[in-house]
Parts: sequence; structure tokens; C-alpha cells
Amino acid sequence: MESEFERLRKKVENYPSASAYNRLAELARLNGNVADAERVCQRCIKEFPRNGQAYVILAEIALAGSRREEALRHLHAAVERDQRSFGGHRLLAEMASEAGEFSAALDHFRHLQTLKPGDGTIGARIEQLTAQSAAQSAARSAPATTNATTTVTMDAVRAPANPTTTATPAASPPTRSTVRTPLPRSGTATITRGAALASLAKEDGVRGVVVFDAHGRVVVSAGLPEGRAELVAALAAEITAGNQAVHSVLGQDQPNCWVVEAERGQIVAFKRDANLTLAAVAAAGVRIALLELRARQALLDLGVA
Amino acid sequence: MQEILDKLNAVRGVGGCLVLSRDGLPMASALRQGADENALAAALATAIDHGQTLGNRLDLGAVKMVQSLSVQGGVLVLNAGNGFLAIVMDPGANLALLQIEARPFAERVAQRLTL
Repeated sequence: MESEFERLRKKVENYPSASAYNRLAELARLNGNVADAERVCQRCIKEFPRNGQAYVILAEIALAGSRREEALRHLHAAVERDQRSFGGHRLLAEMASEAGEFSAALDHFRHLQTLKPGDGTIGARIEQLTAQSAAQSAARSAPATTNATTTVTMDAVRAPANPTTTATPAASPPTRSTVRTPLPRSGTATITRGAALASLAKEDGVRGVVVFDAHGRVVVSAGLPEGRAELVAALAAEITAGNQAVHSVLGQDQPNCWVVEAERGQIVAFKRDANLTLAAVAAAGVRIALLELRARQALLDLGVA
Repeated sequence: MQEILDKLNAVRGVGGCLVLSRDGLPMASALRQGADENALAAALATAIDHGQTLGNRLDLGAVKMVQSLSVQGGVLVLNAGNGFLAIVMDPGANLALLQIEARPFAERVAQRLTL
């Protein structure tokens, strides 16, 4: 354990990566050095702000110290920065379930299901929570509820509960308001998607960004003036098709990135999904490698990749 | 011209090269056996043409370079005056180094095309 710890410590010094930081933090925690683990996580967050796992580890540390509110804060940060954070959504789901916030828990489990479609455990939890949520709704909507009726209803809620849950009806009264985490595929999707591209469009030298489908139709754009997004999408789709033809002639697989460098700027496109491509219009001096990192993160945030 | 392309083919990471006119006709090539230079030149011209149209509409000026990358390799196209120099990249080629090493070749091709 110690040698692995040292190896990882040297690795993050010489070749820092989010995964190396996360493993180092986990090992520090396993060794009982919580303060060291927290320091590693904070450093990871500073260097890789989009990495959600560091926040999840901080949340686990806070939960171990019975600091629930702090844990929730870290977990919300985790899923906000990395919407594919499985650990973040999983912990939020379990915490919401334990607090009797079945609807919020369901949202998180449904999101987890999109990340791991074939996971039987998640499916079983969704079924369980759907039943609990329905019973909770029935209890809330029952008019002139007597104490006796409430007791019976809450018993019904408790019946299918996860045996590991520690929540009691007394700790989560039916009138309690639920705190929901915005999910990428929920009703707030438009705002979230716009925000994901907006951060990329604000990068130094980036003039605008557009995500388009194989037919050149704009899915979402940011930073481009009215009408320009459609123009960029239409012509970029043609360039994508042209490059696909080039690679086909050469017997290569389909391109995942193309760049058109002109005298006063460049257009860069990245493709991760079968249909969707992200194109960025940038100034001439913008480094493509850095832009690619940001663009791929934006695609992840959009749920495209 | 052929001598320039043969020398370019000796550069690490280069899997073949082609000089094409602005209207997509192959002018000289040193591609690997079996590669269809006419089809490649036509496909490249389409991508370059759309790139130039987009550059014009966005007021970015003339296209200097087009590159397209995939896991199995890629293509680097450099402006060579009256034509373009297209370089087929091997998988794992050092793109940055290749761009540096290929520019003098593009300049030499451009000189030949203006003669």
C-alpha cells in the first residue's frame, strides 16, 4: 500500500492527471490520513476543475464525519461539473432516498440508468423508489388525513424500503420540500446545454461554438451572431462529409477531428457521437490541443459523448 | 516535383503525398500502391473548397492548412500557391513535427507551380 502510495505521489508530481489524483486521495483516505486526502482533492479540483470524482471523495469524507450538508454541497458540485459522475449521482440518490425524498432519488437513479443502462441493481432501486414515491404522493394528497391514516400510509411507504436505509418517517415528514439536482436530461436541459457551450465560447480566442448534426442542422450554439451558427453548421457539415470521403478513399476510419486554418482564424471541429459534431471558430493563435480538451469536456457536459 | 514528393515520403509519419490543383485535379503523387489519386484529389478538393467558402463567409482570409484526423491516421493539406500539397499521415504520426517538417516542402511545391 505504501509503495503504491509513493508511486502515485511521484506520478501526480511528474505527470498530473485527475485519475492519479483521485487514486492518491483514495489511498490516503484508506491509510487513515483524511487531511492528506482532502489536500489532494483540493489540488485536483484546482488543476482539473471539471473532475467530479474529487468532490465525491470529499463528500464521502464529510459523510464519514457526519457533516451531511457539507457532503451535499460537494456532491452537487460534483454533478454540476461532471454530469456523468456516477459516484456523485449514486451518493445523491442514496442520500435523497434515506431522507425520504423519493422523487429526487428517482431522478438521480434514472440518470444513473442512462449512464449504465444494463445495471440490474439500479433498475431494482428505481422500481422500489417508484412504489415508495407513489405511496408518499398518495399520503400527501389524502384530504383530512387523520393520525391513524397517516400511520398506515407511512407503513406502506416503509414496507418496500431498502433494508440498509436508516431514515424514519419522523425524520422526513411528508410535507417536507424536496431539493432536486438539475439533471442533464431533465426539463432544465436547455439551460444546462447552453451553459456548457457558453463556457467554451468564453475561452480566450474562441469566437463562437456550434453543435450540429450530420445534416448540418444546429443543435445548440454559443457566441455566434444571429444566422452565423446556421451558416457554420451547414458548411462545417459539408467539410465533415468531404473529410469522411477522403478517409474512405484512404481506407482509414472516420475522422474525429478536423481543422481549417485560414489567415485570420481557424475552424476546428470535433466529433464524438455518430451524428453530432462540435465546431469552434477561433482566432489564429489558439492552440488546437487546448481547444480540443475544452471542446471534448463541453461535449461530455452536453451528454453528447 | 516528383523528387520533392519522394523526399517528403521519407519523412517519419508520412504515408504518401499528392499535389493537387485548386479545382481538384491531381498534378503529381507519391501515394502507396492501390490508393486512387483521382478520388483522393476530388474528395480533398471538396473539403478544401467548403473550408475556403466558410473562411470567406467568416472573413478569415485564405485557407492555409486543412487537417483531418482519425485513429488510423489522417491527412494534412498545405496551401502551395496555385495548388495544394496533401500529406497522408500514418497512425501515431507526430502531427506537430510533421507540420514543421512539411512546410518547406509546401514552399518548394509552390515555387514549382509558379514557374
